[in-house]
Amino acid sequence: MTIHEVERVYCPVCQAKFKYVPGWNVGDLVICTVCGQKLKLELHGKEWVGARPEKGQEKELRERIDEYARLKGYVFNDMKEELIEGLLEKNKRFGDFFCPCRMEHVPEYMCPCKPTRGGDVERNGKCYCGLFWKSK
Amino acid sequence: MCTNGKMTVVGESRSMTAKPKVYALSTCPYCKRTKRFLDQHKVAYDHIDVDTLDDAKQDEVLEEVEKLTGRRSFPVVVIGHEIIVGHDEDKLKKALKL
Repeated sequence: MTIHEVERVYCPVCQAKFKYVPGWNVGDLVICTVCGQKLKLELHGKEWVGARPEKGQEKELRERIDEYARLKGYVFNDMKEELIEGLLEKNKRFGDFFCPCRMEHVPEYMCPCKPTRGGDVERNGKCYCGLFWKSK
Repeated sequence: MCTNGKMTVVGESRSMTAKPKVYALSTCPYCKRTKRFLDQHKVAYDHIDVDTLDDAKQDEVLEEVEKLTGRRSFPVVVIGHEIIVGHDEDKLKKALKL
């Protein structure tokens, strides 16, 4: 099997797979098109897997949420910095950037959480915690 | 807290003497805003950061919150008979007669 026959990349943040673009190689930095996470490409057997080069760092979180907002055309409001503070506290206390307004610390609530990726912002105008907003 | 001279409804008088209680998540900015609001208005209150409790206590408090509000959403402020879900300064002011 050649690299070009492998078509999807696994993202450890959103636990989804996104399309591999021909020409990508091991070590390349790419953006998960589902959640906006920056990933360093690794090849595990025949599977492309993204690693988190800045796992747990504030930079990782900020880049991810900015990228996700850009991908989806969402905007932030004046709660952004306070919510980031909460996300950083979640990481410190519970091991990853889980939604600051939820009790549960499970992968589907890593920011941007699964309900957000599933269309909450489109339906409600904002995500559960109010970090991402539908632009007017 | 009742400083504006308005009459207190008799039925509420007993419960109004109890301190407001805030159920919060330690990481939630809206919960922090609610606590800050109460602090700024010098309102004495009890608070529980539900996410920092040990598992057994957490289950117990979550049940309490669900019984009060029907959901697991924070902050929850209990002022007498009033239950306020979410950070809402207007509702807090009204309930505390500020």
